[in-house]
Amino acid sequence: MTADVGVAPLRRTGKRRWRWNVGMLALPVGAWLVFFFIVPFGLIAWYSFGDKPSLYQTHSNEILSLDRYFDALDPTFLAIFGRTLNIAVTGTVICLLVAFPIAYWMAVKLPARFQGLVLGLVLVPYWTNFLVRTIGWRITLSPESFLADISRNLGFGTPDWLYTSGAVQLGVVYNYLPLMILPLYVALERLDHRLLEASRDLGASAGESFRRVTVPLSLPGIGAGLLLVFVPLMGDYITPAVLGGASGSMVGQMVASQFQTAQNWALGSAMAIVLMLAIALAVIVFGLIFKVIGALIARSERVTVLDDGVAEGRTA
Amino acid sequence: MTAVSERPATEAASVDESVSGPKKRRHVDIGTVLISIWGVLGLLFLFFPVLVIVAYSFNTGRQLQSWQGFGFTSYVNAFNNPTIVSTIYVSIYVAFFTAIVSAILGSLAGVAMARSGRAWWIPAFTALLGLVLVTPEIVNAVSLLPWFVDLGTTWNLPIFSIGVVRLIVAHSLFACAVVTFIVRARMAGMSASLEEAAADLGAPPIRRFLDITFPLMRPAVISGALLSFTLSLDNTVISSFVSVAGSTPWPVYVFSSLRSSLRPEIAAVSTLMLLLTLAVLGLVAFVLLRAQKRVGGDAPGLASTLAGGN
Repeated sequence: MTADVGVAPLRRTGKRRWRWNVGMLALPVGAWLVFFFIVPFGLIAWYSFGDKPSLYQTHSNEILSLDRYFDALDPTFLAIFGRTLNIAVTGTVICLLVAFPIAYWMAVKLPARFQGLVLGLVLVPYWTNFLVRTIGWRITLSPESFLADISRNLGFGTPDWLYTSGAVQLGVVYNYLPLMILPLYVALERLDHRLLEASRDLGASAGESFRRVTVPLSLPGIGAGLLLVFVPLMGDYITPAVLGGASGSMVGQMVASQFQTAQNWALGSAMAIVLMLAIALAVIVFGLIFKVIGALIARSERVTVLDDGVAEGRTA
Repeated sequence: MTAVSERPATEAASVDESVSGPKKRRHVDIGTVLISIWGVLGLLFLFFPVLVIVAYSFNTGRQLQSWQGFGFTSYVNAFNNPTIVSTIYVSIYVAFFTAIVSAILGSLAGVAMARSGRAWWIPAFTALLGLVLVTPEIVNAVSLLPWFVDLGTTWNLPIFSIGVVRLIVAHSLFACAVVTFIVRARMAGMSASLEEAAADLGAPPIRRFLDITFPLMRPAVISGALLSFTLSLDNTVISSFVSVAGSTPWPVYVFSSLRSSLRPEIAAVSTLMLLLTLAVLGLVAFVLLRAQKRVGGDAPGLASTLAGGN
């Protein structure tokens, strides 16, 4: 424990009811986040039980009901929600499949002196404005772009890539790929490379040592990556707005339009709450499945022994 | 995550590799070649749209996506357009104050977390920060808009009707959480013994903080502030909900011009903004690497810090 707990009591004899504690430095942020993050969320939760009384009012809580939730779950919303879920799950899986070899290459195959450089190269597009990157794809996929010129010159005609759900799928995979690469890279880099060599020396094939050593030990990184990609992807609003058009819209846009164009805050709030609950539910279900898979792998592949060895090696 | 304790493992691995490397790599196996090609293609994929934007910023045409010719007209036009100039000014102004607010609040919380051991509130506080980091921006955005309106009217706090104030507060939420985690990671890697020694020698808390704690955490505070600056500069979703007419930040201007037509000026300013972001991030990397050289550390630590994680 810190000095403040150990030393302070000696000097300040129990006159004050509370004594200064370093933990209190967390109070300003706590208060800030409660006031501007928790309370606003509570506010829209409250609005979601009200309604939009007239054309000129955005919300009213005169009459409380669950009607907005029934309104929110109408067929249009559910259809778009289904499409969003589809894009999000597909996008997350594609991100994992694309990112794993990249992260593996960076962490295991690249010489240590190039790792920092390549990491920087991954971070540059990640820190480029999200909207601007997406506009880059919009230019590329538009019928006037250089790719379209190439397509015409090859005799494939003018492509109509833009404003399709395929464009949105490409856009989200692109936009969230760094969020998958980074945790995977961190996990694979921490993996003790000697374990891989040991498994090879003990006669495991490359595929086998990958399956029985690399994958189980990088499971935490995989989990973090899936979470970091899936959650923001479900609420994405920029990518479909730039690339999707009418046929590629997602839930985030529906929520936004209730606040920005329809001015129906009650319904918009209900939609936002539904979205949050759905994401939380998906994460919980997914977390449980992930735990079960991890446990099954650990049991069947006996990596628990290995894992303990690593843990001891680390802490020693 | 303690950078110091990881060092031996990494070093051992790299030493090991250099010893066994030449023996094993006499023949280059096909798997390594394929995975390297995949990795390089992945990097090209990541850079592709960024390069497209930079290239099209030199488009002399009237529409961004249809290429006419090479020239600097878009840059000249952008700076002769008072609306664009004012949005850039708003963006940088907001980013500057977001960085200051988040650096101060986040540093305090980071120290508190790192130096409180296993206090009862740590798990709840970590969960709160985690929630801030993972909540989809759109939910944040739609909940802040009614709250600001409410604060400005019902609560009679006109300060929350000012556009830049709203933007600074909104941007600072995510940034505070990031700074907190960076500072906590830094301070958790430092032993508290220096502070204890100062306390034993009779230094009052404020003196201890200024003479010992702050110099130790300075690299984390600086890099946290710079990251907050770039986060604020990039924020589009929340900004487009809370901003008020007259204080539109740059990304919101770009987003709203999607509905009419995109002009090359947008690519020009985006390229300049990218250069600004890169300069700031270069500074972050420099500060962190220099600090890590003193206490020990590695690339993954930097990666997880820059990724905004813990």
